[in-house]
Amino acid sequence: MSDIAIDMRGISKQFGPVKALENVDLQVRKGSVHGIVGANGAGKSTIIKILAGIYRLSDGEVEIDGKPIDTITPASIEKEGVHFIHQDRLLVPTATASEAVFLNNEPRVGPFLNARRMKREAVELIKKHFQVEIDPDTLVRDLSAAQQKIVQISRALANKAKVLVLDEPTAALVAAEVTSLFGVLRALRDDNIAIVFISHYMQEIMDICDDVTILRNGENAGNVVPAESSIEEIVALMVNRDTSEMYPRRTAEIGEPVLQLENGTRVGHFENVDVEVHKGEVLGLTGLLGSGDKQLLKCMFGLDQFDAGTFTLNGNRRQFGSPAEAVKAGLAMIPEDRRAHGVAVDLSVSDNISIASINSHSNNGYVDTKSEANMVNGLIAELGVKTPDRFLPVRNLSGGNQQKVVVAKWLSCESSVYLLDDPTVAVDVGAKVEIYNLINRLAGEGKGIIFVSSDLEETVEMCDRILVMYRGRIVGKYQRGEIDSDQLLAVASGASTDIREVP
Amino acid sequence: MDTTVSDTKSSIDRRALAAVFVRLGAFAALGIILLYFAIYARGFTSSFNLQNVVEQSVILTILAYGMTVVFIGTGTDVQKGGIDLAVAANAGLSGAVFVTLLNLGWPEPLAVLAAIFTGMAMGFLNGLAVVVFRMIPLLATLAVMNIASGLELTITENNVIGVSSEFLSTLQFGRFLGISALAWVLIVFTIFVAFLMHYSPFGVRLYAVGGFPEAARAAGLNVGRNIYFSYIFSGFCAGFTSILIVSRLSASTLGTGLLLLPVLAAALLGTVFSRRFVPTIGGTLIASLFVGFLANGFQLLGVSSYWVSGVQGALILLVVALTSFAKKSEGA
Repeated sequence: MSDIAIDMRGISKQFGPVKALENVDLQVRKGSVHGIVGANGAGKSTIIKILAGIYRLSDGEVEIDGKPIDTITPASIEKEGVHFIHQDRLLVPTATASEAVFLNNEPRVGPFLNARRMKREAVELIKKHFQVEIDPDTLVRDLSAAQQKIVQISRALANKAKVLVLDEPTAALVAAEVTSLFGVLRALRDDNIAIVFISHYMQEIMDICDDVTILRNGENAGNVVPAESSIEEIVALMVNRDTSEMYPRRTAEIGEPVLQLENGTRVGHFENVDVEVHKGEVLGLTGLLGSGDKQLLKCMFGLDQFDAGTFTLNGNRRQFGSPAEAVKAGLAMIPEDRRAHGVAVDLSVSDNISIASINSHSNNGYVDTKSEANMVNGLIAELGVKTPDRFLPVRNLSGGNQQKVVVAKWLSCESSVYLLDDPTVAVDVGAKVEIYNLINRLAGEGKGIIFVSSDLEETVEMCDRILVMYRGRIVGKYQRGEIDSDQLLAVASGASTDIREVP
Repeated sequence: MDTTVSDTKSSIDRRALAAVFVRLGAFAALGIILLYFAIYARGFTSSFNLQNVVEQSVILTILAYGMTVVFIGTGTDVQKGGIDLAVAANAGLSGAVFVTLLNLGWPEPLAVLAAIFTGMAMGFLNGLAVVVFRMIPLLATLAVMNIASGLELTITENNVIGVSSEFLSTLQFGRFLGISALAWVLIVFTIFVAFLMHYSPFGVRLYAVGGFPEAARAAGLNVGRNIYFSYIFSGFCAGFTSILIVSRLSASTLGTGLLLLPVLAAALLGTVFSRRFVPTIGGTLIASLFVGFLANGFQLLGVSSYWVSGVQGALILLVVALTSFAKKSEGA
């Protein structure tokens, strides 16, 4: 018998050529709640899936309660007393509550199922640990999210779990339910059960965990004791970056106007909007949902048509009937919905990046592979796409890296104005910084940039000028430093109409 | 929060209400149709006719049990989940093997075992195609159906092969406590399958595997093995039924494959008679008897038998449309 319930040492995992985990250690003490935190793609779910026997580890050792385990399968790990409460409530929807609690561990008389005892024990178990009553005949699909969570944990307890692994257990719960869940977890911890707790919510980690392991880019980034630490310290370890360095400074020179719109109107979306973007300038455009900012980008890019107004690009009056015309004239757009306009997962990184600009890398119909390779490799390095080479199918990349490929695709076309529609939404912190650096590089090259973002802090920090839209009109114009994100929110939500004209 | 709580509650109530409505509606439709036959179809309610229908339905019902077990273990969504299109053709092949071996002079018990083994072997082939080769069940079992009927043609050379033995005539004409041997077979078989599916831990797990394979796998169940079991059990039903078919006809004849449509109709219709709208042995029993009475009633009314097949097809469409519609409204 040892004090350590789970001892994972030197765990590495590769998916094809991509390293998801490298030499990670995880020690969980009996009778403790152990948190695992990390940004998206840091390797949290990978290490849990290795422990659950869903992934085979490439290298490393696992000991459960001091006993070395060679191969882990979902069935064998349960026999060791390690139970998983999966985030997506893996329960059979057509089973009853009592069947779900005792699945694969049914009480029986001879060869028969002892349904009466099964129901009674399910009710007793749930009542004992959770102080609530659940009708054992209710179908799982008719239970609430919190009740399903209770059924999942009860199943582990019915199986005499020694270790409970909870993956984002609070995701679908309301505050009061979270509080009572934490009460249950503390009681289980006092019964000497080891609990592994994975959550995005830092405050929950601080509240419930005795120890925290921090992962970053598939490696250990540190272990801390929350009682002796702070949220700031943990976050700093997660991203390994002082938050003040989140927004890199830009030194681009702002030149002559490159895109102008006067009295732009699209009935039902926006009216009499004036926009001017200069070379080397990042123009922020922000507003609440439905304020017309996204529709404005669509009209500029030919996805929709202006009803009135004068649109000028590079000194020529234009009206684009389709995105193809807009791209030809020197516009590029990174759409918000990357899933729909996103990557072709079976094609290589290289093909995905060069697909939009292949014409500029071809002579007389032949692809100039050398110039294509240079361009692609340059973008891979610049965006920090985590791939061993450019020929890897995009399918093998993590979600965040797939998004970088989409960004790279559009950046590969040499355009004069870039329309960015929420390029950092659902991207982890590291990738955000890389995208900011990229925006700065484009500005440095004298490109004009219109940056639509729903993240107000990002808008305030990244943009030279900011236009705020409210119900289809521009209600605020600000220079960098004239407004902070709180004031911006007040203007965007119509609470303040402090319009300042740009001199 | 109050609004969301009451919203989920009322949507559950609505669904529960709709479920009760459909189930009561199904029983009511069953009752009305039987009542109609009782009044208008001469001789429908005679004890001879009723026994006759039950006996005719034994073959259909046991094959439908095989199909039901496949539904239970591999998912009730017929369009994506499991199905065994080969079950009827498999019974034909097993019958051909049985008769041929008997005529070659094999002892009856051995020939019976060989027939059942043939059925289970074809079931194993289904399982192999679905579990190992990951084919969609609709295609995999369609291919196995063709293999089975092709083999049957090869063995019988497209002939009706007669056979007679004491065992077979006992099965056909024997009675015990006033109930025919065939009806006894149905009763015993039903108790056996119902125990296995509804009163054993094994059944709970098989339902879990079919209901949500990922959850079953996460609970430490071997999903592939359970799917294999479903198809092999269906093959067992086919082999077992082939002996009943041969005893009834005193021969192996082609055309057993035509049973597929009523078998499918019965197994699908059976889901409507269960509390959770899942396949159950009881539901399938009611549905198979209903399908049997439907054919019989039409016959007594003098309606062309061609209509029966059309009505069975319509039943399949109706039940599948109803259940997939119910699933869609659940997702919303």
